Amino acid sequence: MRFHGRGGHGIKTASRIVGTAAFLAGYEVQDSPIYGAERRGAPVTAFTRIASSAILERGVITQPDLIICGDETLLESPASGVLNGVEQAAALFINTRNLEAIRAQGKLHVRMVALDITQRTSDRIGKASALSVGLGAAAARLSGLISCEQLGEGVRTELEELGLDAPMIEKNLLLAQEVYAELETVTVEPRKFSATAVIHKMGYDHVLLGTPSILAPGNAEARQTGAWRVERPEIDYDSCTRCGLCFVHCPDGAIALDEQGYPVIDYDHCKGCLICLEQCPRHSIRSKKEVRSW
Amino acid sequence: MKVPREFYKGPKDIPHEEELSPGAPLCAGCGGLMTLRLMHKVLGENVVIVNAAGCMTLMATYPYSPIRSSWLYTTMGSVAAGAQGIRDALDIRRAKGKLSEQDEMKVLVLAGDGSTYDMGLSATSAAIHRRLDFWYLCYDNEAYGNTGFQMSSASPFASRTTTSPIGQQEPEGTFQEKKDMFELWRAQKPPYMATVSSHEVVDLAEKVKRSMAIKGPKLFLALAVCPTGWGFDPRMGDELAHLAVKTGIWPLKEAVDGVVRHTLIPSRFLPVEEYLRPQLRFRHLFEPAPHTEAMQAIQQKVDRYWEQVRKDEPAASPALNRGTSGT
Amino acid sequence: MVRRMLTGNAAAAWGARLAQVEYVPAFPITPQTEIIESLATWFADGTLSGKFVTMDSEHSMVTAAGAAAATGVRTFTATSSQGLVYAMEALYTVSGWRVPFVLVNVSRGLSSPITLGPDHNDVLAARDAGFIQIHVETCQEVLDSVLMAFRIAEDVRVSLPTLVNLDGFFLSFTREPVEIPDAKLVQEFLPAFHPQHPVFSGSQSLAQGVAVLDGATYSYFRYQMHRALENALEVHEEVAEAFSRLFGRRYRALEEYGMADAEIVLVMAGSFATKGKAAVNRWREQGRKVGLLRLRMLRPQPAADIARSLIGRKAVGVIDQNISPGLGGILYQEVSGALASAGERVPVMRSFIGGLGGKDISQGEFDWVLEALDGAKPSDGPVPCQLLFTDAEYEQVRMALSIAGKSQGGTAS
Repeated sequence: MRFHGRGGHGIKTASRIVGTAAFLAGYEVQDSPIYGAERRGAPVTAFTRIASSAILERGVITQPDLIICGDETLLESPASGVLNGVEQAAALFINTRNLEAIRAQGKLHVRMVALDITQRTSDRIGKASALSVGLGAAAARLSGLISCEQLGEGVRTELEELGLDAPMIEKNLLLAQEVYAELETVTVEPRKFSATAVIHKMGYDHVLLGTPSILAPGNAEARQTGAWRVERPEIDYDSCTRCGLCFVHCPDGAIALDEQGYPVIDYDHCKGCLICLEQCPRHSIRSKKEVRSW
Repeated sequence: MKVPREFYKGPKDIPHEEELSPGAPLCAGCGGLMTLRLMHKVLGENVVIVNAAGCMTLMATYPYSPIRSSWLYTTMGSVAAGAQGIRDALDIRRAKGKLSEQDEMKVLVLAGDGSTYDMGLSATSAAIHRRLDFWYLCYDNEAYGNTGFQMSSASPFASRTTTSPIGQQEPEGTFQEKKDMFELWRAQKPPYMATVSSHEVVDLAEKVKRSMAIKGPKLFLALAVCPTGWGFDPRMGDELAHLAVKTGIWPLKEAVDGVVRHTLIPSRFLPVEEYLRPQLRFRHLFEPAPHTEAMQAIQQKVDRYWEQVRKDEPAASPALNRGTSGT
Repeated sequence: MVRRMLTGNAAAAWGARLAQVEYVPAFPITPQTEIIESLATWFADGTLSGKFVTMDSEHSMVTAAGAAAATGVRTFTATSSQGLVYAMEALYTVSGWRVPFVLVNVSRGLSSPITLGPDHNDVLAARDAGFIQIHVETCQEVLDSVLMAFRIAEDVRVSLPTLVNLDGFFLSFTREPVEIPDAKLVQEFLPAFHPQHPVFSGSQSLAQGVAVLDGATYSYFRYQMHRALENALEVHEEVAEAFSRLFGRRYRALEEYGMADAEIVLVMAGSFATKGKAAVNRWREQGRKVGLLRLRMLRPQPAADIARSLIGRKAVGVIDQNISPGLGGILYQEVSGALASAGERVPVMRSFIGGLGGKDISQGEFDWVLEALDGAKPSDGPVPCQLLFTDAEYEQVRMALSIAGKSQGGTAS
């Protein structure tokens, strides 16, 4: 199974909760996260493999049986890789309250399962961004390999390792049980493997091509770091005095000044750090929870 | 107290052109990126950034780069030597008539505190010794941030890092004092050096602009707020940079040929606690029980620092005579 | 053209001088230091134009060399031994930028224990760094190879730094007659540097050495470096041919000595090959069919030529002036690999380790090697590498141990 979310949301821990629970249940297990260049707020991926015999595979999972998506906004971003191998997956789990909207788009041809983990997490433990337990519980249930008790042991082991205190662990155990109870197991068919690779015979390319160099100045603009945003700053132009502080203090240069000197936010790139909001002397910048098109 | 402004009256005067494109895959609220962006604005175009291994290395991740000028990744320990090679080669080409005015470049080293304070110190010291004509920006987030926040010799006393954890042996976490890089650099009397804060944008821009008239090593030490490593909400980043200045923990100063002057002295110093409290890396000083002794030690060090400034720089005294908070 | 008595170090410096190098970042280390001293003098007196700069370490020196080459000037530098391994990270870094410059290494054994005499563990530690490696035998070859190295390195099919290796003391401090080519002819052979790769310049944005976190893209760039090195074989042939036309000396990736009908072959690299040639001559005088194959180009490895040269011989002995602890001789493995790649084997292959830390390989030891090869049979079974080390030398070492106060402990074998 493959987990997707954003840095800081507990995606790695989710994969480990399932991993530990399956281990305690007597299975052979592998779990691993993948680290890229991106940072807090950026898409992250983690993997868990569960088998009843030795696992003769390592590394990334390109053909997952279960995809666990912790953040529906990632479905829009091809770079996040959530949909890699989705066609052969037994199910795609999405943490959302908008399943019907997603379904209505008709883009995804896979069995979809949804639950609003964010809301339940917020209700149970008061912190909407700590998705590890909810996602781990969902994965455990969907897999059909792990009992509710074994899940509880996995949650306890992993959260103790992270240094959480007992009351917090108890709240998380209740959350795990709740999510477990609300979902049903999906059937995972064994899969057969596929064609021999076509190996490329690589020749020599001109040195211009063959070095790790970039000749397109500032092409990082094509990276839409705006997709990292969880909260969205919005400027109230009625009270804005054009002092320019939000412009100078934006770490990413995602605020420009227009001809009249009014700040304009580049939402394709604003990562939502909200320094602008804090720096605005007139409190003319507010934040809204990000809702995307699904 | 602020030294008189020469080039930029206020934040509005900061150049509007962006020398870096957005889209850099660095943490939301990165203080290092903010500092580089501001410095680059003042330096303008035609800069070659020579980079040492660290967080900023990931700014340019194949096949994308936010740098509209140029970039060379070197190593963690030899970044200043990379700057040397480029500067020398540009000078050689210039002297031989093989480099036009418009092809001339400014060489800027971009290194974190791990490279600056530890592995790269020897190479940098040598570049200062050779009077290399370059800029050096150290984005100091006080630990090895890129690898998950391990102790460097820039980590301040009583901060927690993943390799200086809180324990019976060391209840303060980091028991060492932060290396005084400013004074280490100053011992070699480079023509220009300064500390900067991403919050004090005009102070920063003024310093960069002043440095541009000077040939030789021009060194900038920036306190780079780090939401990920320090443990605070990114939105508080700039306020934290402000608190570092207001508590006197991060003095803003410059030294021309080794002669120091402070460029911005708060009218009233806040207790260091105000700066420490919001950060997870200092949480153990407050919880479960206040670690008064460590806190006092930090305050006293700050007080002693400013006491010395009062003696050394009589011109700064009116501001300082109002006293620091701890005294 | 003049002929003069030159040391290997002076010949290296003359090579750089005739190549009209523009930039030399330097750092002293025995036995290389004379090279940079000569160059410092020539920059100071205006013989060379550009800049000589004393760096703070070899790690910095190689970084500066690579960065200057990446900015489009002809760059030369030199080091030895500990300096080369201190620079190791930088070697890999700058070759990844695919920039041409020349690095001379004066081979010297590695610490610990620290020593001054030559062997090849320093330069072979760098064999995977993406540098072309040329190992020379004579002072003349030093000079000639530096000139050839620039032309190979700067060829657009290659665009890589090139290392010329000479043995400390045996070449570096040894004078022999060297022909100094005419400067005008050298300019014809090696015109001014016109970079074929993008260089740093205000009017062109270039991000070089960018982080590549994707394994497939990383594989592409690393394999391109391999391809570029492979191209250097063909380029070397062309360059050697051009060099021979102008200067009359013809170099090949491999030097074959007495190989035409040789049944027993010694494989060697570097200046000790001269001693091997003397042994070949002595045995030939007695009517024995003995030859020597000198590996001049180690990277890229001329694997097909090695195989072609050795196929059909009765016995091959590789004398490695290095030791890979736990493996044995490095070149023995390389030569065996070249034969295996060609799908060939020779009946008898033996590995000898000699000349570590500059220990002499005497003619008596060569005789021992040749006799061992002559008497070896394919049915001997596995034979471990043999250290060339005499009883007399062992006695001498025992004496030193005793003086060091160690005669009491342990048991000698």
